[in-house]
Amino acid sequence: MIISTNWLSDYIKHGLTENDLADRLTMCGLEVESVDFIGSDLEGVVVGRVVSAERHPNADRLSVCQVDLGDGEPIQIVCGAPNVAAGQKVAVATIGTTLSLPTREDPSVKADLTMKQVKIRGEESNGMICAADELGLGEDHSGTLVLDSDAELGQAFGAYLSARGTVLKDAAIDISITPNRPDAISHLGIARDVAALTGASVNPPAVAVPAHGGLAAEQVSVTIEAPELCSRYVGVLVKGVTIKESPDWMKQRLLAIGLRPRNNVVDITNYVMYECGQPLHAFDFDQVAGHHIIVRQTSGETSFTTLDSKERALPSGTLMICDANREVAIAGIMGGENSEVSQSTSNVLIESAYFDPSTIRRTAKALGLQTDASYRFERGIDSEGQAWAAMRAAQLMVELAGGELVDGIVDNHPRPFVAKKVMVRAARVGQIVGVEIDPDEMVRLIEAIGFQVSTVTESPLKWEVTVPSFRPDVEREIDVIEEIARLYGFDNIPEPQHSSIPNFTPTSSNTRLLREKSRNVLSGNGYRETYTNSMLPAEVAEMFNSTSLPAGRFKGETVHTLNPITTEMSALRPSMLPGLLKVVGHNQNHGQTAVKLFEFGRVHTKKKTNVTLVGEYTEIESLIVAASGNWEGQGWYGSAREVDLFDLKGTVDLLLASIGMSSIRYADSKPNDIFDYGVDVYSGKRLLGTLGKVSKKIAQDYSIRLAAFVGELDWGTISELNSTNGTPRYVAVSRFPVVERDIAVVVEKSQAVGPMIEKITTAGSPLLSEALVFDVYEGKGIEDSQKSVAFGLRFAADRTLRDNEVDQAVSKVLKALEQEFGAQLR
Amino acid sequence: MSDENTHSDQAHGANGADAALQALKALQAEIQETVLDTVGAVDAYRIRFLSRKQGQITELLKRIPEVANEHKKRFGQEINAAKALVESRIETAAAAFAETETAKGPAFDLTLPGRAVAQGSLHPITQALRLITRVFESYGFDVAEGPEIEDDWHNFTALNFPPDHPARDMQDTFFIEAPSHAHDGILLRTHTSPVQIRVMENKKPPIRVIVPGRVYRNEAISYKSYCLFHQVEGLYIDEGVTMADLKQIIHAFARTLFGEDVKMRFRPSFFPFTEPSAEVDIWWKDENLPDGGRWMEIMGCGMVDPNVLEGLGIDSEKYTGYAFGMGIERIAMLRYGIDDIRILYENDIRFLEQFS
Repeated sequence: MIISTNWLSDYIKHGLTENDLADRLTMCGLEVESVDFIGSDLEGVVVGRVVSAERHPNADRLSVCQVDLGDGEPIQIVCGAPNVAAGQKVAVATIGTTLSLPTREDPSVKADLTMKQVKIRGEESNGMICAADELGLGEDHSGTLVLDSDAELGQAFGAYLSARGTVLKDAAIDISITPNRPDAISHLGIARDVAALTGASVNPPAVAVPAHGGLAAEQVSVTIEAPELCSRYVGVLVKGVTIKESPDWMKQRLLAIGLRPRNNVVDITNYVMYECGQPLHAFDFDQVAGHHIIVRQTSGETSFTTLDSKERALPSGTLMICDANREVAIAGIMGGENSEVSQSTSNVLIESAYFDPSTIRRTAKALGLQTDASYRFERGIDSEGQAWAAMRAAQLMVELAGGELVDGIVDNHPRPFVAKKVMVRAARVGQIVGVEIDPDEMVRLIEAIGFQVSTVTESPLKWEVTVPSFRPDVEREIDVIEEIARLYGFDNIPEPQHSSIPNFTPTSSNTRLLREKSRNVLSGNGYRETYTNSMLPAEVAEMFNSTSLPAGRFKGETVHTLNPITTEMSALRPSMLPGLLKVVGHNQNHGQTAVKLFEFGRVHTKKKTNVTLVGEYTEIESLIVAASGNWEGQGWYGSAREVDLFDLKGTVDLLLASIGMSSIRYADSKPNDIFDYGVDVYSGKRLLGTLGKVSKKIAQDYSIRLAAFVGELDWGTISELNSTNGTPRYVAVSRFPVVERDIAVVVEKSQAVGPMIEKITTAGSPLLSEALVFDVYEGKGIEDSQKSVAFGLRFAADRTLRDNEVDQAVSKVLKALEQEFGAQLR
Repeated sequence: MSDENTHSDQAHGANGADAALQALKALQAEIQETVLDTVGAVDAYRIRFLSRKQGQITELLKRIPEVANEHKKRFGQEINAAKALVESRIETAAAAFAETETAKGPAFDLTLPGRAVAQGSLHPITQALRLITRVFESYGFDVAEGPEIEDDWHNFTALNFPPDHPARDMQDTFFIEAPSHAHDGILLRTHTSPVQIRVMENKKPPIRVIVPGRVYRNEAISYKSYCLFHQVEGLYIDEGVTMADLKQIIHAFARTLFGEDVKMRFRPSFFPFTEPSAEVDIWWKDENLPDGGRWMEIMGCGMVDPNVLEGLGIDSEKYTGYAFGMGIERIAMLRYGIDDIRILYENDIRFLEQFS
């Protein structure tokens, strides 16, 4: 909300500069977003008298004037205004004055000009006699602005104007109002806080507020059919108004706070709302059928045209203001076109009511229509402010619209306000805030913002605090403590020199520790970490909700948001693959020939599983690694080599080993919708994830030119399997020599090597400590249908191995290979 | 000549010895003088004198039997001395060559670049998060995590956001399921505060924990806001915790991140789950601004609202606590001078490699 500092100064003389005021407001919880200075103080412009005006010897349209500024010798000024004449009091911009003048090309654009002594067609000129537009007072450029004849010679023109109620300068302070401060959405509300901060007092305008009755109560009747939603409805009648423009001062103020002036009656309702916070509505009284106002909820879906000429569909149960025949306004949100004030209106009914905040909020949400009124009602306005505001508006209408107040007021008040009373213990303030504040100071601070304090007990000191009607947010002791703390100033709370840490055992989760370690391992091995969006187009999410990927294996549905920003982000990712592929494509298209990436993140699917925490959703942590392009770059030492699946397998092996996972095995995963080929990774029987070559079609979709290999692992499962695996256990290192034996066997070409290694490992146990494949050969010397596979075997024991026991182990291995795979020693 | 004749019976021996001695004499000069300036010369020298098959010293050694007994000893000594000289000259020369070789350096170009090793990197968000985590861990905070898909109760209601309250507008929410009579609404968490609730559901005070994680906001994407970001939330519940303690820990944090002389202010604000609530600004120096800098908001914080504690069965008279929360992106952007949040999610390698 924007406030005008001039307007504010009507109610409080705080003596602060605009910037100091802004700082003080910010530091008491009314965050100032900006301070905009409006207008200029016209320094250097003074009141002068034209002593003589002679025609310029060299120019017919110019006059050479002698102007008395009240300080002795008159000065000479050349003037172009047709109306300038001896005896006039005028505003003179003296040498050195800077004015913001309308430019000749476009009068709406202004440029600064500083007055200098000049010669105009040979005649000396020492300043400028100003027209209204040159002083920022409207758009009149027809001639010299002629001042009142009693204007004091030599007086600063700014002082002349302020003495006549015109303001030159203002500042617009934009304040971000938090939802707990409905009391501060008005100038008087801000003034209350300023009072507490400065000790100055608040002076609201004097308004006579009658009790229900009088002529007004005879001419208007109000029925509240929904008293739980409308606890008060006040109506005031002003007759015989003339609808016209508001006076300059009011337009100036409305413009300063960002409102467009419309006509005097509507402007007054806005003005009073920004003055005290009470939204008002002005009905054309002659359009209110039966002169009867009924507040009730709609009983079915209704269509209604609001005063912005939009037809709106209202849900059943919408709180409406009706006359004897029809709806005339959506309560607390916007009036209807059928009863709005128009040029021809002469009798005005001012509505000032209290509507239930939740009801207004629901309706405003349902209609997608937030107005200045709904903004205030849904936060909770002053429960006691209705009659004052209505009478204040009536007062202004009498003053500015020539209306006549109909005596009395309609005040239908089915649920009168009962002030809340809160018990506050003085000592509790210190227990929360951490500083002992003088009790008298605490009382002063909250009394300054309208709370009443009475002492209940002296020892321990306890108060009964009566909460003012404009603070619906304050209900408990802690709310009052907050008020004290904020006005006392958080910056005045000293920091303790010591702090204690509770005696407890930190239990950092294994998931996080393993994740952090893995981040180090991957980044230490050439992978770059990414963070990608969790939200995807629905069809992409659908495509990657694949049983080839960790989250897709749950066979759940894709998760959609009900209110996406765009369709590009309407579903939650079931896999991090699409995000990473986008990054791979982006980088390849920006000249990167080697892309190695990883990311940790959550993936989602809709299905209730044993890891479900919320609703029917399964959220698992996933780790994705991706590599595309060169694994090794070209250098003087050799040519480039493109990444292949075994590079990625190596990475995954290293990663899993580094977090202490052993007995990892891989199984060929069948070609599927995501991968051209790939392998599933297992630890024992538990599936950890899948690695594979991204299918050609998908690569194309993501403009990936080079073969891309990706592995997505279920980090939840990996963490779970490592739940006890934090601290390594030392195993004695053998002091005895290792025996190495190489064997080469011939098998069918189609025979997978992976299972052979597994077989060797079991058959060679317990002496066999390691088996690795060092050669796979097809070709010369081997039959076409066969291949040779060479293994390096290492045997070790906690004693010196004898040749014959190693020989025995090797023959066991060979026998097993022969039995299982028909392998023949080469 | 007479001598030769006189000792004719020994003539052979005497003459043989003489010849051998003379041969030795002749060799000694060559042994001494042969120039050993190349590896080849040294090799030839070694072969000429010491070769097992044709070495001249080897040959002379074979002739020892020819020498008369009384000369044998001296002959032997001289031959050995000659042999020792050869060996020593070879050694000296070889050492000299080795030295020259080392001094010359190896026979390949050492100025060629090293074999490239791929460089990896941690994302700046991770780096900022680690920094933040390290600070709070050093002050005895535990770390907890929670789900991104949350129910309305944990995300709002338990945190003292009343239904139909404007406070809910402070955080534009992505909904997944509208609430029904059967269950709460389901949504994407708008902050990591629901994890506070989950922690308090499972643990009694004292609680001292930070909660990092991804959160979602339904806001238009621009240079300063993205549809998701990461937060770190902190919570400390114990007996006797005050706002002064909160200021102390936040100040310690700000000093670590922004320097010992960081200028900081606490400004009253509003969050439904804390009361009193504050926002923390730090003074960000910027020579280009009229005031030489400006206040930059880095986090929100406050004293945990008694409603939150009581809702979880924690006695709010006995226990008080503070909570704070900050955006990791914001901290990262300030620290690294990043001016557009979207670049964090684009993952251009030319960006990522700056954080290697």
